[in-house]
Amino acid sequence: MAVAAPSLGNQGGFRLSAKAQERLAGFTFILPALIIIIAFIFLPLLSAFLISFTNWNGLQPPTEAAGVGLANYARIFGLDGTTVVRDEFFVAIKNTFYYTLGVVPTQTILALVLAFIVNQQFLRFRGFFRVAFYFPSITSSIVIATIFLWLFNRNGVINGVIGGVANFLGLQYTPVTWINDANGIIHNFLRLFGLTARTAPAWMTETNVLGQTIWQWISGPSVTMLAIMLLAIWTTTGTMMLIFLAALQDIPRQLYEAASVDGATRWQQFRLITVPMLRPTTFFVLTIGLIGCFQVFDQIYVISQGNPAGTTKTIAWIVFRNLRDSQAGLGAALAFVLFVIIAIFTIFQRRLVGKTVQQ
Amino acid sequence: MNKTFRFLAFAIAIALIAVAAVPSAQAAQTVNLVLMGWSSSPSENERLQKIVDDWNAANPDIQVTLNQVPDYDTTLQKSLAGGEPPDVFYVDSFRFLDLVRADALMPIGDKLTDIEDFYPALRNAFTANGQFYCPPKDFSTLALQINTEMFEAAGLSAPTTWEEMRAAAEKLTKDGVYGVVVPADFARWIAFLYGAGGSVTDDEFTKMTINSPEAAEALKFYTDLYIDGFAKTPADLGVGWAGEAFGKGLVAMAFEGNWIEPYLKDQFPDLKHKAVELPAGPAGKATMAFTVCYAVPMKAKNPDAAIKFVDYLTGAQGMKAWTDLGLAMPTRASLRQGWLEKFPNLEPYLNGAEYARKWQFVPGFQAVLDKVNEQLSLVMSENQTVSGALAEIERVGNEVLASR
Repeated sequence: MAVAAPSLGNQGGFRLSAKAQERLAGFTFILPALIIIIAFIFLPLLSAFLISFTNWNGLQPPTEAAGVGLANYARIFGLDGTTVVRDEFFVAIKNTFYYTLGVVPTQTILALVLAFIVNQQFLRFRGFFRVAFYFPSITSSIVIATIFLWLFNRNGVINGVIGGVANFLGLQYTPVTWINDANGIIHNFLRLFGLTARTAPAWMTETNVLGQTIWQWISGPSVTMLAIMLLAIWTTTGTMMLIFLAALQDIPRQLYEAASVDGATRWQQFRLITVPMLRPTTFFVLTIGLIGCFQVFDQIYVISQGNPAGTTKTIAWIVFRNLRDSQAGLGAALAFVLFVIIAIFTIFQRRLVGKTVQQ
Repeated sequence: MNKTFRFLAFAIAIALIAVAAVPSAQAAQTVNLVLMGWSSSPSENERLQKIVDDWNAANPDIQVTLNQVPDYDTTLQKSLAGGEPPDVFYVDSFRFLDLVRADALMPIGDKLTDIEDFYPALRNAFTANGQFYCPPKDFSTLALQINTEMFEAAGLSAPTTWEEMRAAAEKLTKDGVYGVVVPADFARWIAFLYGAGGSVTDDEFTKMTINSPEAAEALKFYTDLYIDGFAKTPADLGVGWAGEAFGKGLVAMAFEGNWIEPYLKDQFPDLKHKAVELPAGPAGKATMAFTVCYAVPMKAKNPDAAIKFVDYLTGAQGMKAWTDLGLAMPTRASLRQGWLEKFPNLEPYLNGAEYARKWQFVPGFQAVLDKVNEQLSLVMSENQTVSGALAEIERVGNEVLASR
């Protein structure tokens, strides 16, 4: 490429330097991708950002909407003295937080264990297990959510199995209404010790922090949210397993051989070779898990629509609801707040672990 | 280098061809209209397609294409925001004021035939700023479904008051069957709110009026059915909606709209049941009307043709053809008699037209509806008191109304 073709060269006086030619060629090659990214990612992002400063209702062309400055953002954080939007936002923050806290560690650990198992040479039908574990990840989330809706039905398979086991052990089991139970699981746990909304100390039930009492803040995910969390774990673990599996197979055999020559036990090998070598992958898995959790939407849409009693409202869900209910400006602002939250967490994670990853 | 230039020339040529391929304009003699709606059931879709086909055969100058889309609200929103709305589309009374405020609808009421014939409550549902915007295509009301087999076995007659309904629910709750199914849904409870003489807001939507003794009575009545164990929610019963619970014989009573009738006939043909008007509350009878109109957009390209078509659809002839299927009820009082002769069992639903309230609120009110549903389920699970729930709904509602 750097050698100029004589036929097009000197006569016309139009001649690019070798460096410019290379640059031009480079741009030409990335042009198709660049156009697609600009048209379908960058421009919509920009217009959403601009819309977040308007009162656009989503029904007229957006150019007809009036600018409202930072009013949408002020409503989200209750800086204008109103509480309705703020309270809903912080309920969504709480729900999303519990969801993430439950899903990310569980799916990461589970994925690592599964990857370790299907990576073993002695395991028969390895191919079958790899496909079986990965299958949920490539199935449409809407389809899976619909199937879970049946599984978690009050008369569904889950209650049937638990009931059967309880019966076998001679225990009494009252079927749980999985998809319509607003009780938080931490509340349920505390109830075992006799602590309920009525018996909790006043400082918990009276102190209002951002629209919810401390007692409400510590509710934990509702039973319905727990069902959705199980669904999410089941779906995404396969993808994470695949990533771990690839990383496991990238670890050079010589390291293990050298270690066993030095007399390291299997456990030492796992702790001192496998785990450190997987560290970059682990952080990758944690990061995409975190982002996916903060954006949880389709399962909510199919299973609970934010119900019961608002315990499955997530940030992405209230973004959607505002867009649908003719408050597109507010919805766009919420979407940007979500973006900032994700960005902060990702940057925080990088800072925290970036150096160890670099080694 | 040579290759680079050849590639560039090729890329530019492709781009030029793409730009040059402008669609050639067609000579327009006939007007083409698009009617956009949602799809309800196969039989309804077929019937509507037939009505449109008949129109097309009779009006060669105005040809209509029926476009039934999934995810209707989003699709409509997109086409309105994009400035290319369909020529005629469905508007639910619930969404009506949103669209009026966005200046998306053309008021065509006064260009239609005999609008006095539409039931006043339904005309009112599509009237804003003193203008009748779009004619109601059909409507549904809530009524009480009773399982006649269970009622006869218990020696009960159809309840006509709240007290009778509660007594029936108590008596019929046995052997794993519950008296009634009560969804934690404002769209059902609101009929009881009106039956008790309560209201949600004042007439001008300036402030909430829901924190009243009447509303408290309605909320207590509705939730006590559940708390006292005579009622269950659809989810408790492991079903998707109240109609399914009723059809499966898990409950003896359900309050649903007339859409339940074809469903029961189709899915549970052996079920012995009948509809009666919702039991009267302390302040008399009340029910809800859910209705949809045929709207023409403000930016219509062919308003005259569209209005002519809408006038046919909602005129005596077009509406008769549509409602003779028995799924939805005619909105014209003049069609009442003929329709009832065909569907005598649906009379309780049609009677509701006389005293039904519209299901309609102001833009932004969805947050309040969510709050009501939330508080309903909290009261039912005894995590909230009746007065606490109403005070909370009032607080949120007043804030939403104030920020309009």
